[in-house]
Amino acid sequence: METADLTHHISRRFNEDLERVRNRVLAMGGFVEQQLQKAITALVEGDSSLGEAVALDDSKVNTMEISIDEECSRILATRAPAAGDLRVIVAIIKTITDLERIGDEGEKIGYIASRLANMERPADKYREIKHLGRVVQEMVHSALDAFARMDVNAALEVARQDIAVDEEYESIQRQTITFMLEDPRTIRRHLDVMWVVRALERIGDHAKNIGEYVIYMVHGKDVRHTALEDVERELRHGRDDSH
Amino acid sequence: MIVVWSIALRLGVAALAGLLIGWPLGSVLAGLAIAFGVYLCWQLAALLRVEWWVRHRSFADAPDLPGAWGEVVTQIVRLHRRKRFHKQRFVQLFRQIQRSTGALPDGVVILDEQREIMWFNRMAGQLLSLRRPDDLGLRIDNLVRQPQFVQYLDGGQYINPVALHAGSRAGVDRYLSLQLVPYGEGQLLLLVRDISRQMRLEIMRKDFVANASHELRSPLTVICGYLETLGGDPLLDPDLAGPLAEMRRQAERMTTIIADLLELSRLEAQDAGAAGEAVDVAALLAMLRKDVLARQQHPAEVRVKVESPQWLFGSESEIHSAFSNLVDNAAKYTPVQGSLEMRWWTDGAGGHFAVTDTGIGIQPDHIPRLTERFYRVDAGRARGTGGSGLGLAIVKHVLQQHDGELSIESTPGKGSTFTCHFPSSRLRDGGNQAREAG
Repeated sequence: METADLTHHISRRFNEDLERVRNRVLAMGGFVEQQLQKAITALVEGDSSLGEAVALDDSKVNTMEISIDEECSRILATRAPAAGDLRVIVAIIKTITDLERIGDEGEKIGYIASRLANMERPADKYREIKHLGRVVQEMVHSALDAFARMDVNAALEVARQDIAVDEEYESIQRQTITFMLEDPRTIRRHLDVMWVVRALERIGDHAKNIGEYVIYMVHGKDVRHTALEDVERELRHGRDDSH
Repeated sequence: MIVVWSIALRLGVAALAGLLIGWPLGSVLAGLAIAFGVYLCWQLAALLRVEWWVRHRSFADAPDLPGAWGEVVTQIVRLHRRKRFHKQRFVQLFRQIQRSTGALPDGVVILDEQREIMWFNRMAGQLLSLRRPDDLGLRIDNLVRQPQFVQYLDGGQYINPVALHAGSRAGVDRYLSLQLVPYGEGQLLLLVRDISRQMRLEIMRKDFVANASHELRSPLTVICGYLETLGGDPLLDPDLAGPLAEMRRQAERMTTIIADLLELSRLEAQDAGAAGEAVDVAALLAMLRKDVLARQQHPAEVRVKVESPQWLFGSESEIHSAFSNLVDNAAKYTPVQGSLEMRWWTDGAGGHFAVTDTGIGIQPDHIPRLTERFYRVDAGRARGTGGSGLGLAIVKHVLQQHDGELSIESTPGKGSTFTCHFPSSRLRDGGNQAREAG
């Protein structure tokens, strides 16, 4: 496993650097997860102050991204890592970008939540959003777990979940259009809801990206823009070759 | 000793055999060499057998060797038996410990000084979704990533547990309480408990108090309104004036209680460390002094001592509410000829606000319970002065929101001092705007 790889190093300081930057990525991930959870709670429970707090706290995510990015540049410049270590750094740089985007989408949801809190609430109390939100939260959580454990199977599972999220996104979109046609007075609110659902769907994509970086980090294979079945086949082949 | 004799005997036999062989052949030396050579070969063969036996650990079929080798084999077998017996006992003990910790209703995780997971029991695996054996050796904060926990872990203050929102299962929110216990050399024991039930009850209780207070407010407003109209009615029977005035007083008290309850629910509902602004303490104290002097009965001497130009960072309305509660209490329990002092100062530890009175004081056994809701030192008297019984509870909550603490010193009959302590991180430079108040 990767953790074993990390310990092979001649330089202990380098190991510590890598380990520390990995920990910081996961701490950032934890914060982003919390932001997302708060944003969805704010929306579902109509808590405008919580929504505003989420929108305000997004700057912390940005600060974390910048500081981890700098740390990675420093490691690249001073240690010139190769092979597996280089992949770890590259994957980290990509992962924090996606985490930051998740943070941005969370901010958007928080902002819309604080606005929607002052409007009339629909009869279903945003049940669809709640459900989609839970699935997406779980995806982000599993993607970060996969990152921590270097678990390729879990990363693949995240990619699989993303398909379900895309389907759900389509179905909520159709449903919302129906609502808009039925009662044009609610179009404004439903447009906001559409924004939220869109943001959640994007978060799902970002979680999937993080999963792909995990696969890249462990196997050195770039599986972006590849169909899921192909990825699985390729990974199986890769494993057969190595045996 | 027997071994020595047996070796000597064998050497003797070998020498004799050498002589017997060598004599008829005419060369005693050659005979001895052959005899000892045979003896040596036999010894080497025995040694090889013993070595092979020890290496392959087939202790069940020990080689049956005569003499010294036999003795060595017996000793090895005995040692081995004793070792196996101790090992079995340890294994049994270890299994028992593992089984008992595994059966604990709480989760237990053992962390080394790098915060890496060394071991965890079944419940911890369930509560924190840890996997065995993949997660052994991973850092705990890589898997339990909630910012509150990471802060708690980094903070090094493990006296109180930390409560976490741990996602939801089947649509029900789950809450965990995590407590770290340091032990050994830098190792940590992490105790995990599922507190979803307690949290749900707590939330229900808070909601109930908030809703009930809210619902009580509207009917009370109507009652107060009618009582006021009736009180001003010139045609009212003079006999009813007394009871009516009392009704109005009590209705007003109820309004205060409900207002305080709502304030408390609001304070409880909001996150600690809420955003705020820099508050000019000097100006606030000057205002509080005016309020005291505006009371019908007030202590003769009301002093304000502002010894620091620094301002306090927090919510102005909440700080006002906390300070005015303390000052009100002091004014209430201090006789007209007494004195009341408000003091604001800063030092290395942070900012402090103290209210000192020369009132009736509080018995020491009441002090720890003073901030409980509706706690009365003397039921009869407190109701007479019209307090809601929630003032100090509000003070405590406001201080919690501002990372502060309340300390109470009191001597019965002499007076009391209530002090609010705020950490240095809460202090701000007021600049030129700071002014003296007297």
